[in-house]
This record gives sequence, C-alpha cells and structure tokens, in this order.
Amino acid sequence: MRSLVVEHLDVRYGGVHAVRDLSFEVGPGEIVGLIGANGAGKSSTLHAIMGVAPATGEVRLGGVSLRGRRPEDVARDGVALVPEGRRIFAELTVEENLRLGLAARRARGDVAAVLQSVYELFPIVEEFGRRQAGALSGGQQQQLAIARALVAEPDVLLLDEPSLGLAPTVVDIVFDALAAIRDRGLGVLLVEQRAQRTVAVSDRCHVLANGELRVTLGPENANDTETMVAAYFS
Amino acid sequence: MTMLAIWNIDWQTIADATALGGVYALMAVGIGLVFGVLRLVNFAYGQLVMAGAFSLALASQWGWPQWAGIGLCFAVVLALSMLMDRLVFRPLRGHSPAVMLVATFAVAFLLQSIALLWFGPLGKIATSLAYLNRPITISHVDIRKITIVAVVVAALCLVALALLLERTTVGLHMRASSMDFQTARMLGVRANRVIAMAVLVSGALAAVVAVMLTVQNPLVTPDFALRDTIIVLAGVVLGGMNRPIPATLGGFAIGFASGLLGGALPTNQSQYLPTFLFAAVILVLLVRPGGIFTRARLVERV
Amino acid sequence: MRRLTALQELAGPALLVIVTALLGTLVSISTQGYFTDTLVKVAMVVALYTFVGNSGVLSFGHISFVAVGAWTAGVLSVPSDVKPAIMPNLAHMLRDRTTGNLSSLALAALVGGICALVVALPLMRLSGLAAGIATFGVLEITHNLLRYEEKIGPGLNAFSSVPETTGLRQAAIGALVVVVVAFAYGRSRFGRLLRATREDPAAARAVGVSIYRQRLGAFALSGVLAGLAGGLYVHLLPVNTESVYLDLTFITLAMLVVGGATSLWGAVVGALAVSALDSYLAVAENGSSFFGAQIDLPAGTRVVIVGTLMAVVLILRPNGLTGGREFRVWRR
Ligand SMILES: Nc1ncnc2c1ncn2[C@@H]1O[C@H](COP(=O)(O)OP(=O)(O)OP(=O)(O)O)[C@@H](O)[C@H]1O
Ligand SMILES: [Mg+2]
Repeated sequence: MRSLVVEHLDVRYGGVHAVRDLSFEVGPGEIVGLIGANGAGKSSTLHAIMGVAPATGEVRLGGVSLRGRRPEDVARDGVALVPEGRRIFAELTVEENLRLGLAARRARGDVAAVLQSVYELFPIVEEFGRRQAGALSGGQQQQLAIARALVAEPDVLLLDEPSLGLAPTVVDIVFDALAAIRDRGLGVLLVEQRAQRTVAVSDRCHVLANGELRVTLGPENANDTETMVAAYFS
Repeated sequence: MTMLAIWNIDWQTIADATALGGVYALMAVGIGLVFGVLRLVNFAYGQLVMAGAFSLALASQWGWPQWAGIGLCFAVVLALSMLMDRLVFRPLRGHSPAVMLVATFAVAFLLQSIALLWFGPLGKIATSLAYLNRPITISHVDIRKITIVAVVVAALCLVALALLLERTTVGLHMRASSMDFQTARMLGVRANRVIAMAVLVSGALAAVVAVMLTVQNPLVTPDFALRDTIIVLAGVVLGGMNRPIPATLGGFAIGFASGLLGGALPTNQSQYLPTFLFAAVILVLLVRPGGIFTRARLVERV
Repeated sequence: MRRLTALQELAGPALLVIVTALLGTLVSISTQGYFTDTLVKVAMVVALYTFVGNSGVLSFGHISFVAVGAWTAGVLSVPSDVKPAIMPNLAHMLRDRTTGNLSSLALAALVGGICALVVALPLMRLSGLAAGIATFGVLEITHNLLRYEEKIGPGLNAFSSVPETTGLRQAAIGALVVVVVAFAYGRSRFGRLLRATREDPAAARAVGVSIYRQRLGAFALSGVLAGLAGGLYVHLLPVNTESVYLDLTFITLAMLVVGGATSLWGAVVGALAVSALDSYLAVAENGSSFFGAQIDLPAGTRVVIVGTLMAVVLILRPNGLTGGREFRVWRR
C-alpha cells in the first residue's frame, strides 16, 4: 500500500479561491479526517486529487505525481472516491453498480474473492444484488457506494461526507466499516461534517476554514469542543 | 373526411413501412448512442450514411464484387466517424448544447458540399444489390426481398446491440457513462474508450443503413439521407433522447408512420406528408417535451 | 454619458452597414450585386439575432418567416398582367391586387410577424432540444406548404417578374431599419428582461419574469424583421422555395455564430465577414480576377470553406469573433 501526499494544493474556480496552499499526507493504515464548515473547500480538495477540479500544487501516490492525470487514470492508479451524495446509478442493479467499481481494478486476479471480502463488510450489498440501486434506502446506497469503491482494491479511499443524512444506527455501520477498512491496510481520507466523531476515529484530523488548514487535531482532542469551535470559526 | 375513404393499405405498404421503421430505428440508435455519452446531437449522421452510399456506388462502378463494396462502405463510414470524433466532437466536449448542435450542423453541410464538389449534383448509381428489389411471393402476397432483408437485419442489429449493452463490460460502461459521465470516470471508466466505442457502433449502424437505403434508392446524390436524418432526429426527440430504447421506438414509430402515410395517401395529399409529420411531431413535443416513450420528464437546462 | 455609451453600441453596427453600402457604390455594377446581397443578409442575421441572441434559444425556423415575407411581397408585386402566366392557380383575391414597393415590404414584415406570433404561441413553451427540433419542424412545414400550395404563390417555380427594387440603397436602408429596431428592442425593458432569462432562468423566474411572454415577444418581433428581410430578398432576385430553405438557414446561422450570437455587433460583423468571404469565393469560383488575384476554384468550394471556417470558429472561439460583446470604443 502506498501513501498519498498532497503538497501546496490550490484550487481556483474563476474568481473563487476554494483551497489555499493545503498540504497533508495519508499513510497506509491511517484514517485522516478533513472537517470544516459548508464551503470550506473539502470536496474541492477531493476533486483536485481525482483530477476533476482546476488545481495547482502537487499530489503524489507512492512518490508518483498524479497531477494532470485524467480521473479514470487516477482511479486506476489506486485512489477510489466515494462521492458526495453517493452518486449511485439508480437505474442499474446493485450488482451492476458494483461491477462498475471493477473498472478501476488493476489486478487481473480473483474477482470473486474481492467481492467476497466486500460482502463481509456490507452483507446488504450481496443480499440485494439483483435490485435496482435506486430502490435502496439512503443508508443502503451509502454502503453500496463504499463497496463500489472498495472492489477496485485501492491504496487510498477518499470519502466525501459518508454519514450525510443517515440514521444514527447506519452511521455506526459506516464508521465501523471505516475502522475495518483501515485495519486492512488502506489509507482513508475522510471528509465529514460530524466533527467530534471524525476526530475520534481519525489518526489526525485537519480543520479547514475558507480553504485554509487552520489546525490539526488528534484523537485526544475529541472531547475538546472549545478547540474545535475556535478552529471552525477562525 | 375523404382521406379515410381512400385508405388503400395493402400488405406491401405495411411491409415497406415496417422496413422503413426498422431502418429509421437503426439511425435513431446511432444518433442516440452518441448523444448518450457526449450529450451531442449529431446532425451530420445522415452524411455518414451518404458517404457509405457513395462508397457502394463507386464500388459498383469499379465492378467490385458485392462483399468488397460493402466492406468499403463500412471502412469509409467507420473511418469518417472516428475522424469526426477526433476533429469535431472531442474539441467540442464541454461546450454548450447549442454550440454543439450548430457545429454538427456545419459539419453536415461541409460533408455535403464536399460530396457535391467530388461527385456533382447528379450523383452516382449503386446497382450491385439491385436484385434485392425483386419480389418474392409469400402465401399469395408479393413482397420485395429488400423489405424482408431490412426488417431482419434491423432486428438482428438491435438484438446484437442490446446484448452488447446489457451483457458486456464495455456495454455497462456505456450505459453508466450516459447516465453520469463524471462519476463513471471517477470509478475508472475510460472516457475515450467508451466514446470511441459509441462512435464506432453508431458508425457501423450508419454503414448498415447506407447499404439498405441504397438498395431501395440506388441513385446516390449529395443530399442522400438528409431528409431521412431530419425525420429520424424528430423521431428520436419524440421518443426520448437520452435512453436507447425510447430513442429506438421513436425512430421506428416515425418511420412506420411516414411509410404508411406515404404509401396510403394519394399523391395530391402525400406531397404534404412532411407537413403532417412535423405537425404531429410538434404536437407531441408540446404535450411531452421529454419524449413519449420515457417515464420521467427529462429536466434540461435551456 | 450613459446615453452616449449606449449609442456607440448602435453606431458601430450602423456605421459598418453604411460603409459597406458606400464601398458598394465604388465597384462595378456586377460586383455591386454582392454588396446588395450582403446587406440583405445583414438584415436576416440581425432578425435571427433578435430572438436567438437575446433569448439563448436556438431557432432553425427563422428562414420560414423570411420565406413568408418573400412570398407576401412577391405575390403582391408581380404585375397583374403576368400573374396568370407565372402563378396560374393563384387565389382570386390575390390575382387582381398589385401593390407598390414600399407597401409590399410593409406587408411582408406584417405577415412575417403574424406567422411568427402564431408559431410562437405554442412553441415558446419548449426549450433546449425540443425547441430546436420544433423550429426545424416549422421550417419543414413552411417549405412543404409553399412548395405545393399554388394558391398563394408560384409553387415550384421562381418568382420572376418581381420588380427589382432592392438595389444598394434599398438594401442599406432596410438593413439599417432592422439594426435600429433590434438595437431599440435590446435596450428596452423587454430586451433586458429576456437577456436576464438567458443568463439565469431560475433567478429571472424567481423575480416574476415570465420567460414564456418575453420569448413570445422577441420571436414575433424577429418574425417582423425576418419578413421584411424576405421582402427585400424577393425584390433582389427571383426567389424560389429552395433559396429560402436549408442552405439559407445554414449560412445565416453560420454568420450569427461566427460573429458572436449574443450581441448585435456580433450579428453584423458575422454577416459581413462571412458574406465577404463567401462573395470573394463566389467570384473566384467564376474564375474572374478580383482585387488583383487570379484564382480559379471549382464550384462548391465556397460552402466547403465557409463550413470549415464555421466549425473552426466554433471550436476555437465558441463565443464568436466578437466574443459576443457589443461594440465599444470606450467603456464606462
Ligand atoms: N464547480 C465549481 N465552480 C465554481 N465554484 C465552485 C465549484 N465547486 C465548488 N465551488 C466553490 O468552492 C468553494 C468550496 O466548495 P466545496 O464544495 O469544496 O466546499 P465543501 O467544503 O465541500 O462544502 P460542503 O460541506 O457544503 O460540501 C465554495 O465557495 C463553492 O461555492
Ligand atoms: Mg462538499
């Protein structure tokens, strides 16, 4: 497993400067959090890594630059994204959605084994394989979106607000799954709004405001509300 | 109304209408596939068919055997499709739909005037497959062979296409790309490959259409298939642009309707066929702007 | 000051029209025809701009109103004594009436406007692709009806014997009238509202602008202008159904897009630039020498070159030569 390094990243949409001089690293077996208010630049950071946002600066995977690559090539290199709002293909079946995730798989090896390991994390995906994905509940769709990213066997998994709009019990499932994914050796970059929970689960958690990194918190800060609030609104 | 009193629909008319519907259905899929992945209405689709038809005419003029003529037709149409993708579609990606529409309109005119320059306004004659126009008799009804060939070939092409889309990985990628291209790409679906595939399949369908249309209408002129394309485009929009099945049904419906009306109406009324057809198209568009064969309404920016 | 800034937006296009007309007086009679034709094209493209440019909705149907204008002015201007020869099946009430040049132009504009209004009443509910196909349908229907309906015109034949009153002066005045009307509309409250719907339909709707009504008005007005342009056209050359159909639709759209569809300045610049190129190539196709250059192009080269130009401009400069901006010497 390789680590993802972001250095001096800047994202500009015309006049909007969404991300400013952002640097961080996600190593194998790490969960790195990225939190901040609406419009702080979290999704823009992920999009820049995937090569779909206009960015300057450096993004490297295992020492090799990803800058200027097409999104499909970034995905094939081993970075998988679980996009904001899940982006499930509603008119395809659950199984077809999962097969789409295979598009980024480099290894020619055993597909059945990969699927099996993903089914262990999310049994629901196997159970509802033949259903239309659009007919799943929001929580089930989120599990499908993560499963779809995992079947590509990436080195690094990027998640954009996976707990958005989910019931507390489903949020638990998602966060438990993230811990399990970390234990498999993947690097996880977790963008979230649930600050406390993210700080608790992350090895490091960066707080973004106005596109800038304000402070980095460790798990020990999880109950330190004051620091967090200060960082959010600085 | 007197119009109803003089309906004279015989079996040949129905068979012809079915064949025309089949051919138009193929053109509709060809246009719909490219629209699916590129969000681009290819006005120049008819000129691909025209190029294929001229290849057939040239081959028959040079005395080539049939299979070689058909081979040339496919080669020319596929090459031209890929060229169009490279030189026009690719640089236009991401532009507004209006710009893309006008651009393919320009390409259509460009190709047509190149053909005019090359072959002159009188065109050429493709004779090699003309024997297919002879009738055969099935239980006392005379039907031209090409009618049967067209229906069978169209059905086979559609089945093959359905298998490609439903059963293969590249087909899955094409379907996903036409639903949400950016997400598909971020999952590792290779944009250029999917687009190239759509363009190629759409080109192959144009070649098939070229073969069948030249049998029915051996005189190939620079505006060959121009009228058909306009009618098919209307049919595709009528059916529902961004899904293959509604687009196909739309193409078939408008082909069948125009075949039936053209065959059943007396000349002094059938000369107004375009008026009937387009008035119907406009009416349907007003009632169902997203198409008649779609369930949800297509939400589209102006 | 603000008035002045606004007026230069009119001055630029108007001056171009006048300069073109003046240039036309300097050349030989045979070459003058190209200048006259160019000015009529300016009128057509500006008519098209009035709707397409301000609304942002594509129309393939505007040449219908040019055709209707041409038919109106043509039928009314053919002298009564030759009417039975050219149009044997003409309706009685048209057979006996002949009008003068000016009233034929005014009626062409009026009929063009009425047709556009009738078409717009249902069609302006559509947008995007559906609108594109529906306006194409209008073109097809108009072409089909004019071609076979011999009660209202010459059918398949050309309009011969129409007095050729569209010389350089009439074309220039006509083009100026169209430019001034388009400018006045663009500056008016309605023009600004329509452009607002083009830029941000949701916001415009939110503040209570009826997109339907604004588009309706613009479509009808551009129908009036297109009808007038059609009237000018039929007084220039013997028009038939094919000369006001796909080719003309293509060339006028090309002109608008090449110039820059979202400004009056773009419409005029595009019409003049493409016309200049087109005329130059037409002369070259005929093999004569022009401005000292002796070229001999095979027939059909024009459309190839103009089509290529249009595709190249679209790909490299999708907003056209002028970038879709109005003419300004200075900016506020
Ligand atoms: N495609 C775009 N074009 C222009 N501006 C954009 C685009 N995408 C994002 N922005 C702007 O960039 C800024 C950062 O947006 P971003 O989506 O990265 O925020 P975020 O932190 O993900 O917010 P949220 O929590 O609401 O998802 C915002 O001001 C947004 O308006
Ligand atoms: Mg976001």
